[in-house]
Amino acid sequence: MKPAPFQYVAALSVEDAIALLSKYGSDAKLIAGGQSLVPMMNFRLARPEWLIDINRISGLAGIAQKNGALRIGSLTRYSELEASEAVQRSVPLLGLMLPHIAHKAIRNRGTIGGSICHADPAAEMPVAMLALDATFELRGPTGTRRIAADDFFIGQMTTGIEAEEILIAIEIPEIKNSEKHGFSEFARRRGDFALASAAAVLRFNGERISDHVRIAVGGLSERAERARAAEALLAGKAPTAALIEEAAKAAAAEVKAGSDLHATEAYRRSLIATQVKQALAVAVDHTSSTGAKK
Amino acid sequence: MSVKTTVSDTGPWVGQPLPRREDARLTAGAGTFTDDIRMPGMLHAAFLRSPHAHARIVRINADKARALKGVHAVITGEDVERLTKPISTIIPFKMFLPNYCLAVDKARYVGEPVAAIAAVDRATAEDAAELIEVEYEPLPAVVDPWEAIEQPPSFVFDEIKSNVIWHDTFSYGEVDDAFSRAAHVVSDRFSVQRYISTALETMGVIGKWDSSGLTLWSADQRPGFATHALTTALQIPHSQIRLVSPYIGGGFGNKRKATYMVIVALLAREADRPVKYLEDRQENLLGLVHASNQVMDLEMALDADGKILGLKLRDVVDEGSNVINPTLHSMLKFTNMLNNYTIPAVRFEGYAVLTNKCHSGANRGIGKPFMCFVIERAVEMAAKKVGIDSLELRRRNFIPASAMPYESPMGNVYDSGDFLATLDTALKTANYDDLLKQQEEARRAGRYFGIGIATAVEPNSLNLSAYTLMTGRTDTSGVGEGALVRMEGDGSVRVSLGNTASGQGYETVVAQIVADELGIHPHRVTVAPGFDSAVNPWLHCSGSFANKFSGTDVGAIIEAARTIRAKILRIAAHLTGRKAEELTIREAAIWVHGANEPLLPLAKVAMTAYRDLLRLPEGEMPGLEARHFYVDPQSNLPAMSKDDKRLRFQLTFSNSAHIAVTEVNPDTGAVKIHRYIIAHDCGREINPMLVEGMVHGATTHGIGGALYEDLIYDENGQMLAGSFMDYLKPTALDVPEFEVVALETPSPFTPLGAKGVGEGGSIPSLAAITNSVEDALKPLGVTLTELPLTPNKIWDAIQKARAEGKDT
Amino acid sequence: MSELKQHDVSLTVNGKAETISVAPRASLADALRDTLGLTGTHIGCEHGVCGACTVLLDGKPVRSCLLFAVQAEGAVITTIEGIGDAQSPHPLQRAFNECHGLHCGFCTPGMIVTLSAFLKEHPQPTSDDVREAISGNLCMCTGYQNIVRSALRAAELIEGAKS
Repeated sequence: MKPAPFQYVAALSVEDAIALLSKYGSDAKLIAGGQSLVPMMNFRLARPEWLIDINRISGLAGIAQKNGALRIGSLTRYSELEASEAVQRSVPLLGLMLPHIAHKAIRNRGTIGGSICHADPAAEMPVAMLALDATFELRGPTGTRRIAADDFFIGQMTTGIEAEEILIAIEIPEIKNSEKHGFSEFARRRGDFALASAAAVLRFNGERISDHVRIAVGGLSERAERARAAEALLAGKAPTAALIEEAAKAAAAEVKAGSDLHATEAYRRSLIATQVKQALAVAVDHTSSTGAKK
Repeated sequence: MSVKTTVSDTGPWVGQPLPRREDARLTAGAGTFTDDIRMPGMLHAAFLRSPHAHARIVRINADKARALKGVHAVITGEDVERLTKPISTIIPFKMFLPNYCLAVDKARYVGEPVAAIAAVDRATAEDAAELIEVEYEPLPAVVDPWEAIEQPPSFVFDEIKSNVIWHDTFSYGEVDDAFSRAAHVVSDRFSVQRYISTALETMGVIGKWDSSGLTLWSADQRPGFATHALTTALQIPHSQIRLVSPYIGGGFGNKRKATYMVIVALLAREADRPVKYLEDRQENLLGLVHASNQVMDLEMALDADGKILGLKLRDVVDEGSNVINPTLHSMLKFTNMLNNYTIPAVRFEGYAVLTNKCHSGANRGIGKPFMCFVIERAVEMAAKKVGIDSLELRRRNFIPASAMPYESPMGNVYDSGDFLATLDTALKTANYDDLLKQQEEARRAGRYFGIGIATAVEPNSLNLSAYTLMTGRTDTSGVGEGALVRMEGDGSVRVSLGNTASGQGYETVVAQIVADELGIHPHRVTVAPGFDSAVNPWLHCSGSFANKFSGTDVGAIIEAARTIRAKILRIAAHLTGRKAEELTIREAAIWVHGANEPLLPLAKVAMTAYRDLLRLPEGEMPGLEARHFYVDPQSNLPAMSKDDKRLRFQLTFSNSAHIAVTEVNPDTGAVKIHRYIIAHDCGREINPMLVEGMVHGATTHGIGGALYEDLIYDENGQMLAGSFMDYLKPTALDVPEFEVVALETPSPFTPLGAKGVGEGGSIPSLAAITNSVEDALKPLGVTLTELPLTPNKIWDAIQKARAEGKDT
Repeated sequence: MSELKQHDVSLTVNGKAETISVAPRASLADALRDTLGLTGTHIGCEHGVCGACTVLLDGKPVRSCLLFAVQAEGAVITTIEGIGDAQSPHPLQRAFNECHGLHCGFCTPGMIVTLSAFLKEHPQPTSDDVREAISGNLCMCTGYQNIVRSALRAAELIEGAKS
């Protein structure tokens, strides 16, 4: 199980990486942590002719707080996010979610940007990005542009990034006083890709949920998506157990869900209801834990 | 319960939890596994494997692959047909179906090797594999075993115009009478998926030719079979084949693959260079070997009191493309139909069916876990029907300790064991009454909390005379093993075996046994870590299988050691003018019985044996080396009468009781194992620390089979679980802390009273988990008959029960 | 296929500076084993699931099958051979022997490398912590229980050596 042959080049700056992408076009692939790409290359399911390594670009990794948002460099590794007090404090959702991503040795290498650009439908990061209203800063030959997570995830491992662009940073609004986060995931074993995962971000007006409601789900079909009908149900209401139940059912009914080796569509829909319910329960009751995986 | 947990610094060594000799190297990463061996000029092999489940191979063009820089040899089915004979069968059927090391006329499963390449490195060999053009004519795939019998879409082997490679009925006792007298009959269909132990080291082979012939290095656990297959396939004298097994990174029955060896031998000859092939994990999952999937229709007849009167099993084993040793699972099922119960009448009707899947084969326990699963599920169902507790039903049917040794209707002789005591020990360890209270509270709180019990015998060793009953052929019988013990001139000892170690700790336990026999410290005994067919003593059946170490192999070791011991005493007697009967050996010295001072150092005698040749007793051959080939005295031949199919199939019987405490999340179908209690009895424990380790490991295999692992094929015969992302092994978070208690009922049939333990945990665990999950879901009225119990399947069962209104 | 460029990579392995020449597609695991002869790093799946190939990269456990050797320029790598040997075993190596934390020994290097970093961060772990820490390392032989015991015992040995 060895990769098909490729040429390797290490980009030393963002400009360098963009120039290399422009030169080699679709024959090239960026490698960040490589924790998803390299298995695919080893199985020869991905076979870039050029591998452009961005790990040596300085300034692509790091976490900074600026204007009420957290700016996370795309090359920041999961383990750095886990260890960051700023992340744990300002974006509790990431703190809840990160332990579900694979295992420690993978998190020591895998990057936030890599996961976002890989856009695996069963990965956790895209789900969190949708729920958090993240914005992605992309740079290409013609300059920098910003794209909302909502517009970024298009389909199975397909995103809004152009072939010559590189993801520079992720901007996530810091949690407001009135905001609460929840996350829940069901996988066969801890660290596996999700059969269903759900993230919830709720802002409150006193006892009631405000209009700012985000529920995102993953593991179901070709991409992570928002459960907008469920969001609409919750907006402006007090989060009673009955309402949460209703929202969970709505989410299960509205999202796309597919069948595969590990789960039928009917089972997935049922799972998504339980995960949305659990994510909302976690968000509403900050004292509870992330919820056991099983 | 008498198991020792501390090590003393004197013998006897058998029975002590001695830390392992192997570990210093292995923990430092310094064990030499097959892939760690490097040779000058060595090439690396890769295979092109079939993407089709069933396809005729019309044409192969390997020109581009041959032309690729770095490629030294390419072979295809045409070469193989010209250069080799088919692989010889292990269980010989009357109709010989040719099975070559590469697909010759057609490919019969996804992943079957179609061509092989040797190149400067593995990556280049894989590049070359992609350049080979194969024209396939796809044929309908045979996937479902019942369909394969009744409405075959095609034949896996056209030669027999059927996919049934074996069908037979074995009947013992008055079965029809038992069923006509029965007050209760329970029956159901049970099915078990394909799964496999996936040793962490994948299978590998290195081949090298020189003037003395062919040498192979391989993680093979049945060297006798392998070299025999090679000599027939390659048509070279057996004496020109040398097989060396270095460290083996786990075996579990899976590590035997003559086809890989033949391919590597051909590539090495063609390239005139050493060639290494090592499976990658995808190849390992697609094509090393699978424990077959099986469908079992069981009927159990009971009287009004819950006494089992008779048992009928109609069994279908999906052998995949296995024509080398089919019926292995069938045989080990019907010989274990009794489990640990007195059942006077049993009938087994078995079908071994060919399909377009990876060949079936040996995997920890072979057949026995599935038989136990069926019996122990049926016992639960029967108890419900009779209206008594299933523990009580078991107690009423156990073979009593007072009946040992007990001859079963099929001719097995259970040597020893107190099944009631084992069960009671498990219940006591579990605090069973408290568990029941906990369950009551949990149920009141709306939780789904289950307690599952399964009891089992764990047979040891396998009398290969059984093949005669399966096939009618009479070229294989009995079971044995070889051992070589050599005391050097300084009184230290080296030992080698026909068996191949793959993690069992033989370097340690064999040293313990030999140390006791020869009165020396185990540190003075060196056990060869691997196997070398040019050095080690071995038989056709040699190797690691059927839990045979503790009885059969120990017999060979002890006989060889005792031969040396007697010779030492004869020489010592001669040197000291005493009689041999007056002398004994301990603490590396010769003593007169009862004396306070040693007579002379052992090394003095040993050195005499090697260099003072004229002072040896008259007629005594120099040297202290003994090679013993042991035939297990418990093995026998089948009766001459054709109708008498009784045989001592297995030779001794360990036993155990497992209690699994689980909880099911009704929303997700996920199972959490809260506790797992094991009471087991494998006779006298040679090394209790290693015994307990085996129990943990084997039970974990059962947990994997019950809950996670599934080598699943789709309706076109595509295997869907070709990676560790889709073939799920239990991790440290999925396995509980096992609570293990040992009983020690020594076997009267083995030299040390020891019995096997390697397979044990894997046998009752499928049933214990399933019984527990079903018990958890009792308020919902769910019945579970199909493994594995994936969350999806459990959820489906819950939905079904709810829809049928069984929910109470 | 065009001729592929070999790359010279300078890195520190087990405290020793090395320069190796590798093809771009050579994994770090293959380079350690084939080029440097450090065969204690085992290969069990080549897709990042089994953990047998775990090494320390700048002190942190990573999968050496998911890193190309060419990417390791300037890296500090520790393999099982750098953790300890039979003459001067690491407390984990001693504890694995004492507590029977291995059968076939194929997963053991990856387990010990993983746990060596874990015990530095968690000197007094619970058994649940240990299970979480090794949940990315598969063992097919032991059922994990004695590996957990070994890790807890190693923590004791390390603590004892300090006092």
